[in-house]
Amino acid sequence: MNSAQIEIQLIASLVAIACAIPGTFLVLRKMAMISDAISHSILPGIVIGFFITQDLNSPLLILLAAFTGIITVVLVEYIQKTGLVKEDTAIGLVFPALFSIGVILIAKNANDVHLDVDAVLLGELAFAPFDRLFIGGTDVGPKSLWIIGSILITTIGLLLAFFKELKLSTFDKGLAASLGFSPAIIHYGLMSVASVTTVGAFDAVGAILVVALMIAPAATAYLLTTDLKKMLGLAIGFGVLSAISGYWFAHWLDASIAGSITTMLGFIFLIVFLFAPSKGIIAVMYREKQQRTEVSLLTFLLHLKNHTEERERHVNHLQEHINWQKVRAKTVLDLALKNNMIVFNKNIVSLTEKGDTFTSKAIDYIITNEDAQIEDMKEDFFLFRG
Amino acid sequence: MDITEYIKLVFTDYTLRTITLGTAILGAVTGMLGSFAVLRKQSLLGDAISHAALPGIAIAFLITGAKDTNTLLIGALVSGLIGTFWIRGIITKTHLKSDTALGLILSLFFGFGMLLLTFIQKQPNANQAGLDKYLFGQAATLVESDVWLMAIVTGVCLLVLLLFWKEFKILLFDADYTKTLGFNTRFIDVLITSFIVLAIVLGLQTVGVVLMSAMLLAPAAAARQWTNSLSTMVFLAAIFGAFSGVFGTAISASQNNLSTGPVIVLVAAVFVVFSFIFSPSRGLLFKQIRFIKNRRDLELHKTLAFMYHIAETHENISHPHAIKLLNNFQGFTKKTLQKLVEKNYATIDGSMWSLTDLGFETAANLYTKQSTEDE
Repeated sequence: MNSAQIEIQLIASLVAIACAIPGTFLVLRKMAMISDAISHSILPGIVIGFFITQDLNSPLLILLAAFTGIITVVLVEYIQKTGLVKEDTAIGLVFPALFSIGVILIAKNANDVHLDVDAVLLGELAFAPFDRLFIGGTDVGPKSLWIIGSILITTIGLLLAFFKELKLSTFDKGLAASLGFSPAIIHYGLMSVASVTTVGAFDAVGAILVVALMIAPAATAYLLTTDLKKMLGLAIGFGVLSAISGYWFAHWLDASIAGSITTMLGFIFLIVFLFAPSKGIIAVMYREKQQRTEVSLLTFLLHLKNHTEERERHVNHLQEHINWQKVRAKTVLDLALKNNMIVFNKNIVSLTEKGDTFTSKAIDYIITNEDAQIEDMKEDFFLFRG
Repeated sequence: MDITEYIKLVFTDYTLRTITLGTAILGAVTGMLGSFAVLRKQSLLGDAISHAALPGIAIAFLITGAKDTNTLLIGALVSGLIGTFWIRGIITKTHLKSDTALGLILSLFFGFGMLLLTFIQKQPNANQAGLDKYLFGQAATLVESDVWLMAIVTGVCLLVLLLFWKEFKILLFDADYTKTLGFNTRFIDVLITSFIVLAIVLGLQTVGVVLMSAMLLAPAAAARQWTNSLSTMVFLAAIFGAFSGVFGTAISASQNNLSTGPVIVLVAAVFVVFSFIFSPSRGLLFKQIRFIKNRRDLELHKTLAFMYHIAETHENISHPHAIKLLNNFQGFTKKTLQKLVEKNYATIDGSMWSLTDLGFETAANLYTKQSTEDE
């Protein structure tokens, strides 16, 4: 590993952390698509800023571009407030229009502007170490490292200072407003941080990767925990992990680093999406199947309780009466037997004492319909789950 | 180049004719299907799908090694559909919200697509150049067979739309009711979504991955402002879309260095802004005018009521009072006073006013019954 490689990985990791922090809040506030809109609509800001400063790394350009990001948010909110279209349509209308303006501005001034739309959207991390910052003639490192580093420090500072306010306004807007925290300030503050991060990172990693780095780690973390601090930590972890593994993957394939980091993010998300302990697809499907069997069991027990006459409880009759397929009926009967809810006596099924109590309580539950109760009840009665 | 000359050129010049026709058809079909996307609150789905189509293009190229438009578009279609159904899976099976799912799939697929594109660029295959036109689109690369493909797909879309019109409409406005009526909502849903994906994929070559969502949304959002009927909206959206295509092509053709995609999007955006402002029933301008009118109306009523309370204290209701008396009251303006005279509710004599019988009666009934006549 040479120093350029270390620097690239360092920049990528810092970008990942800087994106994961606002990204977590965007995902929790259901505003993930806003980050996509911002990442596109900063283009005209960057172009105009470039006309003025002639330097892609100047702080003025970053502020100007970030300002376009804020304008996007304001415009979207204004259009939404008129009630003419829904919020998502408003987002979908604003950013392509602004992006088009940016593309046209570049195309019309192609001769004077050494700026490429591809570069804005995709970035080129591999070149980042070559653009170095000199202070008093000494080389102090790549420019983008300094830019993203200062953005990250500001973001962390703001996060520590306003963590309580952010947390409150994210989960209970009404309470936050009534306690005197202006929702508007927090909202636009978050939007500003997201814009500045997007602009600061686009040069290194491109606008699209910024979106991926904001949303994907946070979404992945959200599938694993519901604790805000843990979620932030996990999101940062996933971001850095995919930044570094993505770099080496790109190195091996000799392809775009930004694309490769995104692919790693996607890979991690897919794994978590499938295998997350309680919210992954497999866990959800397993739980659904379990609940289906248990509901069937309950129906079966209720039927037994309702009919004291032996004819109704004969195995053959039950088969036609409830009309379950054989496999399903077997699962339910096995479950009932295992849990000591029923007994067989010459092909007549009857409830045990325990089965009887359970069924009575279950009826109570069905009448009052308190969601929490049935799970407790299952805990109390079941030796084996469905 | 003046307009007549340009129109003549459209009919004679092969390239210009192909592009104009292509963008017009594209605008029409996306406008048509976009109406459904907008009304189903799936506006951003188009954005996600168009980005998600990118890896499909790259993979199709990697497999076939040729740059045949149709195979690439099939790849885009497959990957767009995978993206769409994954989004749906995320929304229904986990607690992640739709915006997160959309942003996630959009950026992840696009990033993966970029990885493949850069990987392809390093391959020793002379064919690989020009794949990146799918990023921003290049209308200039349209050839006649592409336009035929678009026309055929549009025809199929139209046919399916007419065939399943009733089902689409009812699913759009009352999904639960549709289910109780026994329609296979899942099938209708998949059908309409697949056609939206198809329309997006068709546009990739012309407008590109990044701007395709605007083609879907803008005509529909503009059309929505002019009507409350679905059929009119779909028709209008198709017209707006087609005109965006034609005008956009014309503007970009008449200038140097203007790529067609962004210009078409901006023309469509102009349609949207115009509709937002000038639509008679929903537009901002007329809304504001109605608002001012209502306020004036209210002020007129307030003045009349105030006059009534003064006149009430006199035996003769037509007893003149000084206009000055009204001055300490906010609702009074010269115009409203004039209007009262016009309506024969009051008479003015120099600096004095007096209520007429009609005015007195109207004022007395002002708050007891609703006035049927407006104004």
